[in-house]
Formats: sequence, structure tokens, C-alpha cells
Amino acid sequence: NWMGRYAQLIMGPAGAGKSTFCEIMEKHCVSLKRPIHIVNLDPAAENFSYTVSIDIKNLITIDDVMEEMNYGPNGALVYCMEYLVSNMDWLKEELGHYEDDYLIFDLPGQIELYSHIPVMNKVVNLLKDLGFNLCCVYLLDAHFMSDNNKFLSGALQALSAMIHLETPHVNVITKMDLLPPGSDESEFFEKYFEADVPLILAEMYKPKESKWDRLTTLLAQVIQEYNMVNFYPLNPSDEESVNMVLMNIDHAMQYGEDEEPKEPKDENDFLNENQNENND
Amino acid sequence: MEPKQQYEWHVGSSTNRPITAIIVGMAGSGKTTLMQRLNAYVHAQKYPSYLINLDPAVATIPYTANIDIRDSIKYKQVMKTYSLGPNGGILTSLNLFATRFDQVMKFVEKRAPQLQYIFLDTPGQIEVFNWSASGTIITDSFATIYPTVYVYVVDTPRSLNPQTFMSNMLYATSLFYKTKLPIILVFTKTDIVKHDFAVEWMTKHEAFEEASKVNDTYMGTFTQSMSLVMGEFYENFTCVGVSSMTGEGMDKLFEALQKAALEYEKGYKVELEERKAELIKQEEKRQKEQIEKFKKEMHIEVNTTSPMNVIGQTIEPAQDQDMEEEDEENLFNEEEEQEHFQDFMRTINSKKT
Repeated sequence: NWMGRYAQLIMGPAGAGKSTFCEIMEKHCVSLKRPIHIVNLDPAAENFSYTVSIDIKNLITIDDVMEEMNYGPNGALVYCMEYLVSNMDWLKEELGHYEDDYLIFDLPGQIELYSHIPVMNKVVNLLKDLGFNLCCVYLLDAHFMSDNNKFLSGALQALSAMIHLETPHVNVITKMDLLPPGSDESEFFEKYFEADVPLILAEMYKPKESKWDRLTTLLAQVIQEYNMVNFYPLNPSDEESVNMVLMNIDHAMQYGEDEEPKEPKDENDFLNENQNENND
Repeated sequence: MEPKQQYEWHVGSSTNRPITAIIVGMAGSGKTTLMQRLNAYVHAQKYPSYLINLDPAVATIPYTANIDIRDSIKYKQVMKTYSLGPNGGILTSLNLFATRFDQVMKFVEKRAPQLQYIFLDTPGQIEVFNWSASGTIITDSFATIYPTVYVYVVDTPRSLNPQTFMSNMLYATSLFYKTKLPIILVFTKTDIVKHDFAVEWMTKHEAFEEASKVNDTYMGTFTQSMSLVMGEFYENFTCVGVSSMTGEGMDKLFEALQKAALEYEKGYKVELEERKAELIKQEEKRQKEQIEKFKKEMHIEVNTTSPMNVIGQTIEPAQDQDMEEEDEENLFNEEEEQEHFQDFMRTINSKKT
């Protein structure tokens, strides 16, 4: 009775609102009667605003590593994630309790773990091996939309983190409810969410040297080609916007297409599924 | 007229503007060892310089900082007092420091006429500085006065992986669009791996495409698009290879710093002059609001211990052996400092009640 396993991976810099996002998703899925469980993979996370079903801190905590190994916060974080990778049986067993449920992984925010040290892609690859259909949800604070430079900057930052993971991805702009009063939301939508790249370019800050123009133009093209401009706004107080975000994520990971017999996409998928069935 | 090739200092004059280099990079890329090498180099060359450490969580630094955030902010105590995790602890420490950064700037300004360079070492995790409000306050404090340059440190051996390389390039570019300041890419650890491959990737897009294809297919298609952009990175960023171990490449780095300072004068500074009045007003308002916000947040999170234990006595520059002729006590009036600090504590404590 293999149903397919689905998980969102919540990424984004510290302060982007990852935990709040998980909380919003949890509430929303409860109202949709969709069984959902949240996995915390941030060994430094504290004070959860959502129900934690699986917590990496039951395996290892950053405080222990800092104290016992006398590591700094960076070294300790890397150590924790490496430890998780070498103890994937723990995670596998924990995940076994939620075989048919929709999962959300709350990930640490440090970009180093994604692009500098190849540790997060190890975790993600192991999840893929466990048969998960994944979707990376990259969160950016609404203030990145406050001007064109920040927009491009934020898009590049998201792109930089995501080229490593090779999973479908969705970008979400959080804290839309905290936009300064008077900001014209319709203008916002047209420009950034529908990605009016020529307009953004036209308004872009240009240093006095024209050589930047070409870089800006080329980067904007790449961003457009890679659908980096698909940012979805999330306003926690607006049920409709929460639903839109969830729908887009579901779509990206092809959730809900299981009602019909699922065709394995390729040999690997097929093997993974078989493996999982055998394990069961 | 020949374009100006060298940055001009006016050492000894009040119009002197030291070049400020903000050292950023991914955790583990070699920021702190680069600082050590920079320190050794400026001593050997007798370039009067000022070193500031902004990483509250670093255990030891292999150079003498003139100003060290750890002297006034006890990171571990901040974590305990405000019940924070390691990341929150670093961020809050930096916020606390930012609330008093006007003091730091006073020290710097007093010293500026004598200086050629100012170097800032930033917290290990790149985003703590680059995407935080306090990082912006600190950057702007320098960039509105001195020719300020970002030195983006790239780990050369790790960048042999084309994805890591591309991530670094995109991140550096993202930094530029945010700050609008000139950026120097410093490829470190060249004693282990020469950075020639990186230059080749940037100048010959076929080379980069080839390297990425070996790795995987998704990157292959991505690089089809990015390979053309690579050349633009090379056009726009100055790339220098440095070995902090041997000191190789340091001359080139200092040439690059001067070149970037000239770029600052042509770009950022012109923009700044154009919008000066408006900018300063906005900036002051924003900083004030932000600092109030920090203070408020810290008050809310205060448990039992007074922040008095968290923050040291004052922000004080370390003794500087190079500047013996100057009377440190005269320069940094301790009594006045103490008063400032008491003032600051009163503000925080009044919020508490």
C-alpha cells in the first residue's frame, strides 16, 4: 500500500520566519484534515510554536557539542549535522512512525550548511533515498521586496542556496502582513510576484560604471529562466494566501496524484519504492 | 588627463580617510587567519592600521584587535541572560554592540587622521552580519565616512566544487546588490590549491561548463545560463589569490584595496553626495528606531540577571604598541566613557521597570 511520502523542506536565513511558517502550515493542514507532522532538524532551535513530532535534539543538541567538545557555535552546528548524516538510522526509524503522513522539515538557517559544506545535500539525498517527494520552500522576509536591489539580492541568495539540493522549490515571501501601512499591495504583486523583470531592471540601481549593467541584465535573465521569480506571498492572517502557498508546494512535489496508480518516474524511483516496501 | 591610479591618503590631516575593509565569508573560509596575515603585513609595511573584531563567539583571535566586541559583550552570558540559542546569542550580542556603535565610531574618528587602513573581522556565520540590521548599521557607519570595501573570502580548495564556487559568486553578487559597495574576491589557502582554475572558469566559460558537467546534469543546464554571467563576475570583481600561511599574494590584495577605494569614490560616494541630506536624515531616523527596537526586544527577553553582567564596563580599544607617541588616556577619556555607559545602562534599566 505504498502511498508515496511527501515532505516540505523549510529553508531560509535566520529571521525569515521558518518556525512561524511551520506553525501556519500545521494549523492550516489541521483545518484541511490532512495528517501533518513537523520534524525539527535544527539542533539549535528552541521554544517551538508548533507541535514537534521528531526533534533532532533527541539525537544531539548544539549545546552539548559546544560544552563537551568545546566547539564554537559554527563548528558545533556542522558537527551536529554530520552526526545526523552518520546516524540516519535514527531518523529513518523516527520517520517510520509517520509513514503515511505529510511531513514538514524545519531546517537550520545557516547558508554555510547548504553551499559551503556539503552537509545539507547529504541529508536531502538520504531523504530522497527513503522515497520522499521533496519540495524546498525557501523563505524570504517581505523587506526583500522593498526595493529592486534587495529583490535581486534575495533572489540570488535563494538561488545560491538551492542549486545544491536539486529538488523542486518554491519561494515564499513571509511577513506580508507586516508590510508598512500604505504600501501598495497591487503594485507589489504586479512587479515582484508576476516578475516584471524589465521593470525591475529599469528601476535598478546602477553604479556609475556601466559594466554593471551587463551583469544585471544577464543575471535577471538567468533568474527568469530558472523561475526564481516565482515568489508567493504569505499573509498569515489571510487563509486564502496560506492555501495558495500550500497548493503551489503540493503542485511542485506532485502531492495528491496518488489517487491513481503512480507510475514510477524512472528506475531509481522504482527501486526506492520496492526497497521501502520490503522494509515495511 | 590620466585617471587616478592610486588612492591618496592625507595622513596627519583631518581630511585623511583610511580605507575600510570589511572581511566577510562563509564560516570556515579563513577570515580570521586572513586578519592575522593582514595584521602581520601592515606591521611589516608600516601601514598604520586599525583592527576591529566583531565576532562575539570566537574563542581566540590570532591578532591584537584595537577594538574587540568580546571585551564589552560576553556572548555566553548573553545566551544565558536572554535564554538564547547560539545563533540568537551571536545576533543579540551584535545588536547590543550596535546600540553603542557611535562610541566605536568616536574612537575610530579620533584615530582616523593617522590611519591608512581599518579592518573589520565579522562573525563566523556570514548572514549574521550581512543580513542583520546591526550589520547594516555598522557597515553604513563606515561607508558614509570612509572608502569602504567588502573583502569576500572564498575558500579555494572547497571552490574546486563548481557548485560551491557558483554559490560563492552568487552570494558575493547578492552582497553587492545589497550594499552597493565595491567587492574584492579573495581566494584563500592558495598554498593548498592555486586559484588559477577559478580565474579560468571566470574567463573561459567553456572551462566552467566542462567542469560542471562532470559533476552532474542539473548543474550542466544551469551553467549553460550562468557561463555567460561568469565573465561579468570577472569584469566586476577584483580577484586576488592569497595564502594566509605564506603571505603570498598580499601585495596584490593591497593594490586591490586601493583600486576598490577609488571605485568607491567614483560610485558609492558620488551617489552618497547626491542624496546626502535626504540619506543622512533617513539613516539617522532608521538607526534610532532600530536601536530602540533592539533595546525593547532585549528588555522583553530579560530574565533575572541584569544586563549589567552581560555588558562589560565600556567599549575600550586595546593598547596599541604602534602608536606609543599618543597618549591613550587623553584620546579615550575614561570618565566620559563611564558616563556614556551609565547613561546607556539607565536607558536599558528604565525599560525594565
